[in-house]
Amino acid sequence: MTQTTHNRFALNRRSFLTTTAGGLGLLALEHFAQSEARAATPVESTVNPLSPRRPHHLAQAKSVILLFQNGGPSQIDLFDPKPELLEQEGKPYPGKVEAHFDKQVRNLLASPFKFAKHGESGMVLSELLPHTGSVADDITLVRSMTTASVDHEQALRLIHTGSAFAGKASYGSWVVYGLGSEREELPAFVVLTDPAGLPIDGTKNWTSGFLPAVYQGTQFRSAGSPVLNLSTPGEVPDAARRNQLDLLQQLNSAHLERYPNSSELKARISNYELAARMQTAVPRALDISSETAQTRQLYGLDNPTTADYGKRCLMARRLVEQGVRFVSVYLQSQPWDTHSKNADSLRGLCGRTDQPSAALVQDLKRRGLLDSTIVMWAGEFGRLPVSQGPDGRDHNRHAFSLWLAGGGFRRGYVHGATDDFGYKSVEDVVNVHDLHATLLHALGLDHERLTFPHEGRDDTLTDTVVTNAQVVPALLDSHS
Amino acid sequence: MQIWKARIGRACRNVPPVDSRMARLFVVFCLSIIVSPRGLSGEEAEHWAFGPIKQVELPAVRQLDLLQTPVDSFVLRSLEAQGLSFGERADRRTLLRRLSFDLLGLPPTSEEIIAFVADDSPDAYARVVERMLSSPKYGERWGKMWLDAAGYADSNGYFNADTDRPYAYKYRDYVIRAFNNDKLYDQFLREQLAGDELAAYSPKRSVTPKTVELLTATHFLRNAQDGTSESDGNPDEVTVDRATVLEGTLQITMNTLLGITIQCVRCHEHKFEPIEHAEYYQLQSIFYPVFPFLHRDAWVGPVQRVDQVATDSEMAAWESELRQLSDEIAARREEFVEWTKANRPPSVIRFQDNFDSAEATLAENWSNQAPGDDAPGGKPPVNVDSVSAPGATIHNDALEVREVGTKGNRWLSTKAVIDWTPDKSGESVQVTFDLISDKVSVDEPPAARIGYYIALHDFDDSSSTTGGNILFDGNPAGSAGVHIDYPGDDSTTAGSIGTSGYKAGHNYGVRITNVGSDEFRVEHLVDWAPETQVVTLSAADLPDGGFGFEYCCGRSFVVDNILVESFPSSDDSQPSDEAVTAFLAASAEQRKALDAAVVVRNAHLASKPGQLAWVRDLMTPAPDIHRLERGSYSDPAETVKPAGLAVLSDGGFELPVLPDDVQSSGRRLAFANWLTQPDSRSAALLARVMVNRIWQHHFGRGLVATPDNFGQSGAEPSHPELLDYLAVEFVRSGWSVKSLHRSIVYSAAFQQSSEHREAASQADPNNRLLWCFPLRRLAAEAVRDAMLAASGELDDRLFGPYVPTTTLQDGNVVVDDGDDGARRRGIYLQQRRTKMNSLLSLFDAPEMVSTCGQRNTSTVPLQSLALLNSSFVRKRSEALARRVAGEASIAAEARVKRVFRLTFGREPEAAEKRAAVDFLQKQRAYYDTDSEQKAMIDLCQMLFASNAFLYVE
Repeated sequence: MTQTTHNRFALNRRSFLTTTAGGLGLLALEHFAQSEARAATPVESTVNPLSPRRPHHLAQAKSVILLFQNGGPSQIDLFDPKPELLEQEGKPYPGKVEAHFDKQVRNLLASPFKFAKHGESGMVLSELLPHTGSVADDITLVRSMTTASVDHEQALRLIHTGSAFAGKASYGSWVVYGLGSEREELPAFVVLTDPAGLPIDGTKNWTSGFLPAVYQGTQFRSAGSPVLNLSTPGEVPDAARRNQLDLLQQLNSAHLERYPNSSELKARISNYELAARMQTAVPRALDISSETAQTRQLYGLDNPTTADYGKRCLMARRLVEQGVRFVSVYLQSQPWDTHSKNADSLRGLCGRTDQPSAALVQDLKRRGLLDSTIVMWAGEFGRLPVSQGPDGRDHNRHAFSLWLAGGGFRRGYVHGATDDFGYKSVEDVVNVHDLHATLLHALGLDHERLTFPHEGRDDTLTDTVVTNAQVVPALLDSHS
Repeated sequence: MQIWKARIGRACRNVPPVDSRMARLFVVFCLSIIVSPRGLSGEEAEHWAFGPIKQVELPAVRQLDLLQTPVDSFVLRSLEAQGLSFGERADRRTLLRRLSFDLLGLPPTSEEIIAFVADDSPDAYARVVERMLSSPKYGERWGKMWLDAAGYADSNGYFNADTDRPYAYKYRDYVIRAFNNDKLYDQFLREQLAGDELAAYSPKRSVTPKTVELLTATHFLRNAQDGTSESDGNPDEVTVDRATVLEGTLQITMNTLLGITIQCVRCHEHKFEPIEHAEYYQLQSIFYPVFPFLHRDAWVGPVQRVDQVATDSEMAAWESELRQLSDEIAARREEFVEWTKANRPPSVIRFQDNFDSAEATLAENWSNQAPGDDAPGGKPPVNVDSVSAPGATIHNDALEVREVGTKGNRWLSTKAVIDWTPDKSGESVQVTFDLISDKVSVDEPPAARIGYYIALHDFDDSSSTTGGNILFDGNPAGSAGVHIDYPGDDSTTAGSIGTSGYKAGHNYGVRITNVGSDEFRVEHLVDWAPETQVVTLSAADLPDGGFGFEYCCGRSFVVDNILVESFPSSDDSQPSDEAVTAFLAASAEQRKALDAAVVVRNAHLASKPGQLAWVRDLMTPAPDIHRLERGSYSDPAETVKPAGLAVLSDGGFELPVLPDDVQSSGRRLAFANWLTQPDSRSAALLARVMVNRIWQHHFGRGLVATPDNFGQSGAEPSHPELLDYLAVEFVRSGWSVKSLHRSIVYSAAFQQSSEHREAASQADPNNRLLWCFPLRRLAAEAVRDAMLAASGELDDRLFGPYVPTTTLQDGNVVVDDGDDGARRRGIYLQQRRTKMNSLLSLFDAPEMVSTCGQRNTSTVPLQSLALLNSSFVRKRSEALARRVAGEASIAAEARVKRVFRLTFGREPEAAEKRAAVDFLQKQRAYYDTDSEQKAMIDLCQMLFASNAFLYVE
């Protein structure tokens, strides 16, 4: 390691300790030293890059479930009521509107949906989200999100990797890089895609970018074997396979005697056992047949409208329960991209996703998993308060809403606000980089110290010099 | 430093106006950096990597008897300082396997092992080294090292588009040849940076094989991702995409050659290295004429950046063959046309044009104005009897429809007005034409559509008549879309007809039949045969009008024998169904010879020699280049002149004098000469970086652990004097890479055993000082290639287009085992950025983003699953078992010995042999049939899966 790097850490550690109220004591200091050394060093071949690692600081959250809503859900119709829109419906927006299809911008369009208060927190949500309403007291609703692009692909890369340009790592990859895996026989970062097909921008949504490929999301296939090479070749009986593995063990043990200190060789030997365990563990983790009728009903598996999304939400819970670090659930293409027939499309989409999403929060909570699991429901941007054509809404990068639950995020809390029309976030604005910093923080990771050497520098998810990303303490329990 | 940091922070964040899309893109794009606690001060000038190269004294060591080459003095001195020494010399088998993977990337053969072990002569090792260095397989192994470092890929990247680079392989082959021929490294670089300028290439001069080689080398500058053939956003996005190509190229050049990170200097001066902001643009100006991203009209996307550069004799031979094949086709066509005339069911000819009278002009029968229109069609209108694009001419007795791909709708129509609605039920009218070719010149892509109209009368919608202008938009992949009253707001779609695609050499058209009740059935005709999928139109849809071809959007093609004819129903001449069926059957038979000739001709067209993806200056003279304020493309500051980096400059950056007809600035050659100038600091750094790469690939770790970063933010060298010593020797050898290999592989450091020694391990647990030869996992390609070599299946053909990979239903990216080339070395498999072969990818072959100077060596369970369960490994195991079974008369124990030798490169040890024999015996019991063979397959597979196979000692 170079002198430069040492100095940088010295500086950071000092400033961290002086700025942290109360400090964290000697034990924590040693702990940092260890984490930093690792984070700044390329992952060496001699260690399993997925072995569990201690976070930078103590934190509740250990895993994440991302319910990604491709296309840009309309905050105005779902999360962010705007009575002013009703008043002024049909009038032009008083100002310039930045739209993706700027020739089709028309006048202000109010939401046709009623909003009501939910729970003790009194969180106001649309009638399209009755189930989300039932877990309102467990979620943090952020109404003041912004991003930097109205282009789908760029905005997807921004919210997933922190950069509009390809090549950076998704935050799921960063989380797995930072914390490793707690369950070796399952992939650390699992992606559950829609059986109908991939979301827009495909596998780039869970890319490891410049991080080693081992950190990229593993897409569990909906049909056949969920991961590659998971089944023993048909012609090899189980007993024959066991005999094979015994032989392999003998050969490898003899080989290891010559290199007793090689952790890489040891890892490779144990990986065969692990691989054999994966062959049963992966199908078992996804097998929802053992779930009770009540649970299946909770997720809406008994209803054809909700069954598909419900199944993946339930699988996500099972995976997290069994130690998977990061699970992403996607919809095919970008259904929330409601350029026309906005209201009708939202009815259908909420019908599919509202119940399963809320069920996931409830189910995690009753199993005691919500404290250690962050659930995030988000799209890549929001939609405009003006109509596009007669009945659509165009992209909006200046304001969108998303919700988070569990893992130390505040319960029953609404953060930030948009202007009277819901066009621009104006209060307590949170951009995607702040969101990333906060998510990492909730997992015990310091977004400025979780680094990886790339193109001659220690790169980060948040790239603070460019983004000025900051943790948003108000979103987290400990700061309330 | 804090002031500096604040300045940079502001520069990159605060870029008004915020509502400019460009500015937003810039904010997220500017990969500006951080926060070094160290500022720019005098110490950079003394940075070890940037100084001139100095002669290094050999250090004194105590154990003189251990020294084999000067390299050992440096390594041993560091070891002795820690009370350590080299390990024992490795045994013969181990050495041979190590050398073989190291120099060739392949295991030694059984015979080679036996011969080397038995060879007592003092130069046995040297003869093996020299044999390997002269093997063509050497270039495949070490060429891959360079291709990784240089960012080679067979696709263009740019998100998911990632389109094909069909000619990149020629550069890959150039690199393999360069290593095999020990092309001197300074020359190797000059060729890659400026081969066209070295060759003084001009399209006017004849091409020699040397020219082709030099131009091929410049593909080095095409390795960056380039999505500008797909990029279709607003003008700002297009600019960003184009700029990305130039920036990527510069980044690759500086990282790969000099180990300098340059990207951040785009926005501001470098935080770590002594490089000024303006210097980025000085460097950029060297490559700007190749990638003129701000000069909208000069840019050429990667798909179009392919030129015809073949030697005269290659071209002459190819053209002569093409003429013969074309004559053959013409003769067969003539026969077929004559036969058809004589045998077809009788009809009334309404319009006919064969374009074959010597003095014919197109304007006699054709116009760019539809019969009912009062304005010429389209903007710009079609140029009749002209090759101006869009243009229509008679050429070689056929009609050439020439389009340039610009948007807008244009057409060419018959002057004749044709009645498209036969009066009586059962009557029909049809138009047919021969599609001679789907392109006008062989170099262009095939037509995107074959578009033609009937009832053309009111294209500009000026008359009150609705309907008409029925466009049949023929898709080469299948069927033709039917659009009524095209174009305009009132255009409607009537579905599609037919199922066949459009292929050159066939006859196409439509038949309209009155089926009564004001309904007209429209059938698609392929070689006169109607296809099943039809549409039905009304008389209002089909007013009288001309027949014509569409000129839009990449629809250049050649047609002939246009024939409009009608078939009366009440007349005796109306053919019976039986007659038509008989005619079609006979017709299909008759045209077989023609079809066969077309297939041969098309194959020949595809093999046109000299298609070359290379670089040349697109703008001459080179335009002025400006420094860009904060890297913003819309914020030019002062102009800059091309120059090398000041911190490495010893003497000038001299533009060469190129011959007058050479359309190039000479800047790249000046840069290459500056870079390689003898005794300069730039050449010193160049040598250090390359020496380090070579060392790294011999020992698994470079003397500098950050091969692409020799700057202040990179790692310090573990053996700085050794690095400089090797650099000096490298330059002194005339930049011979093979000499460099020799100075390494003849050393005691290289030949020592990998055996663990507890004391040494305690003192230096990471073996940084090289007290043993590091145990190393095989590289991805070597894992795959070694299995193929062991199983006896390795296809060792050199060079040529990549072996395509395919993605299976389950997501596995493989080469189909039955494909030609499926057993070739990994370097020849398609290196598509987004779809790397799964097995290679699992073992850390890069999915190329920019460059890969150092591969990761991961150890993950997915590798174990692949070795246990993948069909590739199973198939190799079967082949290996077959191979030893085929060697009859060998007893079981001898077969075991043989598979160990083929996989581990040595005989099994007693315990291993016992374990294997016991295994076979037990395994046989699990199988009812072929148990002998199946047990052997299972043994072979476990040998492939074992560490003794996957690691080199």
